Amino acid sequence: MLEIKPIFHALCRSKIGALLLLLQIAITTAIVSNAAFIIEDKVSYLSQETGYPEDEIFSFHVMLFGDDVSSHQQFELDESMLRGLPGVIDAAYISNTPLSGSGSSSDFSINPAPEPGLSARTSYFFTDNHALNTLGLELAAGRNFNESEVIVTDNNEQRADVTIITQALADELFPDTDALGKTVYLGDIALKIVGIIKKAKGPWLKDSRPDSVALIPYINPNISGNFIVRTDASQRAQLTSTIEDEMLKNYDKRVIVTIRGLDEAKESYMAQDTLMMRMLIVLITILVLVTALGIFGLTLFNISKRTKQIGTRRALGARKSAIISYFLVENAMICGVGLILGCIAALLLGQLLMQHFSIAALPTSYIAGTAIMVFVMSLLAVFGPARRAANISPSIATRTI
Amino acid sequence: MLLHYFDLSWRSFKRTPLVSSLMVLAIAIGIGVTMTSLSVYHMMASDPIPSKSSQLFSVQLQIMDDGNTWWTKDNLPLQLTYKDATNLYRANTEGKRLSMLRSGFSIYTDSDTVKPFSKSARMTTPEFFDMFQLEFLYGNKWSQQQEENAAPVVVISEELNERLFAGENSVGNIIYLDNESYEVIGVTKNWPLVVKYYDLNNGAFNEPESMFLPFSLVEARELGNWGNTNGWKHEDVRSFKAKLQSEMVWVQFWVQLNNAKQKQDYETFLMAYMEEQQKRGRFNRKELIYSLRDVNQWMEYNNVISEDNKILVALSFMFLAVCLANILGLLLAKFLRRAPEVGVRRALGASKRQIFLQHLVEVAMLGCFGGLIGIVLAQLGLWGVRQSYDYYSSIATMDITMLLSAPIIAITTCILAGLYPAWLVCKTNPAIYLKSQ
Repeated sequence: MLEIKPIFHALCRSKIGALLLLLQIAITTAIVSNAAFIIEDKVSYLSQETGYPEDEIFSFHVMLFGDDVSSHQQFELDESMLRGLPGVIDAAYISNTPLSGSGSSSDFSINPAPEPGLSARTSYFFTDNHALNTLGLELAAGRNFNESEVIVTDNNEQRADVTIITQALADELFPDTDALGKTVYLGDIALKIVGIIKKAKGPWLKDSRPDSVALIPYINPNISGNFIVRTDASQRAQLTSTIEDEMLKNYDKRVIVTIRGLDEAKESYMAQDTLMMRMLIVLITILVLVTALGIFGLTLFNISKRTKQIGTRRALGARKSAIISYFLVENAMICGVGLILGCIAALLLGQLLMQHFSIAALPTSYIAGTAIMVFVMSLLAVFGPARRAANISPSIATRTI
Repeated sequence: MLLHYFDLSWRSFKRTPLVSSLMVLAIAIGIGVTMTSLSVYHMMASDPIPSKSSQLFSVQLQIMDDGNTWWTKDNLPLQLTYKDATNLYRANTEGKRLSMLRSGFSIYTDSDTVKPFSKSARMTTPEFFDMFQLEFLYGNKWSQQQEENAAPVVVISEELNERLFAGENSVGNIIYLDNESYEVIGVTKNWPLVVKYYDLNNGAFNEPESMFLPFSLVEARELGNWGNTNGWKHEDVRSFKAKLQSEMVWVQFWVQLNNAKQKQDYETFLMAYMEEQQKRGRFNRKELIYSLRDVNQWMEYNNVISEDNKILVALSFMFLAVCLANILGLLLAKFLRRAPEVGVRRALGASKRQIFLQHLVEVAMLGCFGGLIGIVLAQLGLWGVRQSYDYYSSIATMDITMLLSAPIIAITTCILAGLYPAWLVCKTNPAIYLKSQ
C-alpha cells in the first residue's frame, strides 16, 4: 500500500538531493535538541525562587562624603526617617543587597579559627532586626534579633554575638542535630544561632552555595552602605523616584546611587543568561524554519521535475491521495534515516559540550522530543507541495512537452 | 564575458524567483545568525593593545601555604598582597612596572551647577599611562616625586572633564573627592577600550575608570577597595594598617618586559624575591610558583570569552552548515533542470569550463545578495543583543573586519555549495538533449 520499494528505487536515482536533506535533518536534530536542553536549563535558573517578595523591595546605595556627622548615627536617623515615609512597610540598613552580585562571603565553621572543623562557605549580611521583615523572610525556627543585640558602632573592636542563618546552612553545618542555639564561628568571632530562615538567597545566584546565608546584627558602615525598603508593589515606582530627595533632605553631603528594585537587581545579574536563552530560542526557531523551507523547496522542485510522471500515474488511475501519500512516504523515509543519524549526532554533540563546558549530560527525552517535532515539521512542509502535485491534471500525460 | 555571465545569472534568478529567493534567504539567515555571534566573539577576542600585548605581563605569586587552594585552574591567586606589590614596585629591576587597584569617590566641585555624584577611580603608579598607552588631552601624569609623597593630584578622563568643566582645559582646577581637595593635573583622551584587560576582576566589559590617582594615596588616605579583596587564611584584620600588612590579595601588578632576556631576568628576580620572603616566614610551601602572563594569555586565563559565547559560535557554524546543505540541494535541482538548455549551449560550442564558470558566477551572485541581506540581519541581531543586555553595548557591534568578512563568508559558502552542481551540469552530454528536442 505504501509503495516503499518503488519510492526507494526512485530515490536512488536522485541520491544527492535526498542525502542533502537527510544531512540537514540530522544536523537540525542535533542542534535543536542540545539547544533546547540549554534553554530549559537557563529557564529553570532564571525562574528560580529566591525567597524574597522581589517586586515589593527596592534598595539603594549611599556614599557619605560629609565629615560633620558620623555615618553609623546618620544611618540610624535615615532608617527611622525611611520607616516613617508613607507607603513604607519597613526599612533596614544592610551591608550588601541580596541578588545584586556584590557581597561578602567567608567560611563559617563550627570551631573557632584557627582550629580545624566542619565549615561551609557562607554569604553574610550585616544588618539589623528589621531585615527579616523588610526582606519578607520567614523563620522556620527561633526568633528575630532583639533591639539590644544589634550593635551600632564605628569601633572595629566591637563585635556582634548572634546570627540568623538559613536552613540550608544549618543542615550543612549541623547535619545530625538541631542548629538552633548552637554557636558558629566567623573566623574567631563566636555567633550564637538564634533563628533559622526557611529560604533566602545570597548575593550570587551562581555561587556554589547560593542558599547559605547568614544575617549578623552589626552596623559599622564607614562611609557607605545600602538600604533596603519594603513597600507595596504598586507604590514602589513612586517611592523610588522620590527617595533620593528624601535622603538628601535628611542630610545632603552624600550621593545616592543604584536605586533599583530587587527584581531589577536580579534581572541585571542574570542578563547574560537571559540573552543566551533568547539567542538560542531565536537560533532554533530560525533553524527549524530554514530546514522546513529546504524540504518545501526541494519537494517543489521534485514535483515540477516529475510533472509528467505524475500526470501519467494519474491518467493510469492513481487517486489524488495516492500521489499525496507518495510524497509523504518519500519524505518520511528520508526524514527517518536523517533522524536516526540526527539522534546519534545529538548524543555526540551533547558529549562534546559536556566535555568542554559545564553542561550536564543531554537527557534522551530531549532528543526524542526534538525528533518527533522535526518529523511533524517535515511532514507539514511536504504536505503543501504534495497537494499541488495531486492536482496535476492527467491530461498532462497525453501532451508532449 | 563576465558581464554576460552576470546578465545570464540575473535572468536565471528572475526565471525561478521563488527558489532563487529561498536560496538568498537561506544564505542571508545563515550569515545573519553566524555573524551576530561571531561579531560578539570577535570583539571579545580581539587584541586590545596589539603593539604591546606580548610585552605587558600580569604578575601572580603563589603566596598560599601548602594545602590551600584557589579557584583558578592553576591554583594561583589573581592579585597580590599590598606588601608584595610595594616590594616588587620598589625593587631595582629592569622594565616599567605598576601597582594598582580600583577605588572610588563621591565627587563635587566648587560650582553649584554640578550635583555631587560618584565615580570609580584607578589608584595607580604613574607608569600606567605609558604602559597602557593612554594619551593626554591636557596636562600630564604625576611625577615619581608626587607618587612618593602621596600628592593630592588627579588625572581625569575626557568624559568626566566634559561633565565637570564643560570640556575646557581644567588643569590646575580643584575637585573634591570624598570631601578632600585634589588638583587636576591632566585630562586623558577618550580611551575606547572594548575589554578592560588591565583589570578583569569586576567585569571584563565595564568602562575604564574615569579618574586616575597616585597609588600611594591608598595608604595615606586609607582608601577602600572597590575591586575584590580575598583572604586565604584566618587573620585578625581590624584596622587598615593590619590590612596593608595582611596576606589578603587585592592589588594588581603589571610589568613591561621588552625582550626574552628581560623576561628571564625578571623570572630569576621573582624566584629570588620569594626565597628571601620565605626566610622571613612567608610562603610556607615546598615549591615556589609565580606566573607571568601577557595580555592575551591573561584574557584567556580570566575567561573573558564566556562559555555561552563559545557554544553560540559553534552552534551558529553548524547552523551555517545546514544552510549550506539547503542551498546545495536547491542549486542541484535548479541547475539540473536547466540541463537541456546547457546541452544546446554545449552543442553550439561552449566549453565545459565556460559552463562551469557561468554557473559559479550565478552562485556567487546569490552569495553576494545573501551576504548583503545577511549583514542587515546581523545588525538586527546585534541590535537585539544590545537591547537585551546593555553591558554588551560596546561589544555587540560589527567592526570593518566583520563587515567585510560577511559577504566573503557568504560567497565562499555559496561557491562551495555550487561546485558540485556546476560540475554536474557542465558534464552534460549535449547529444541527449538535442535528440529529445
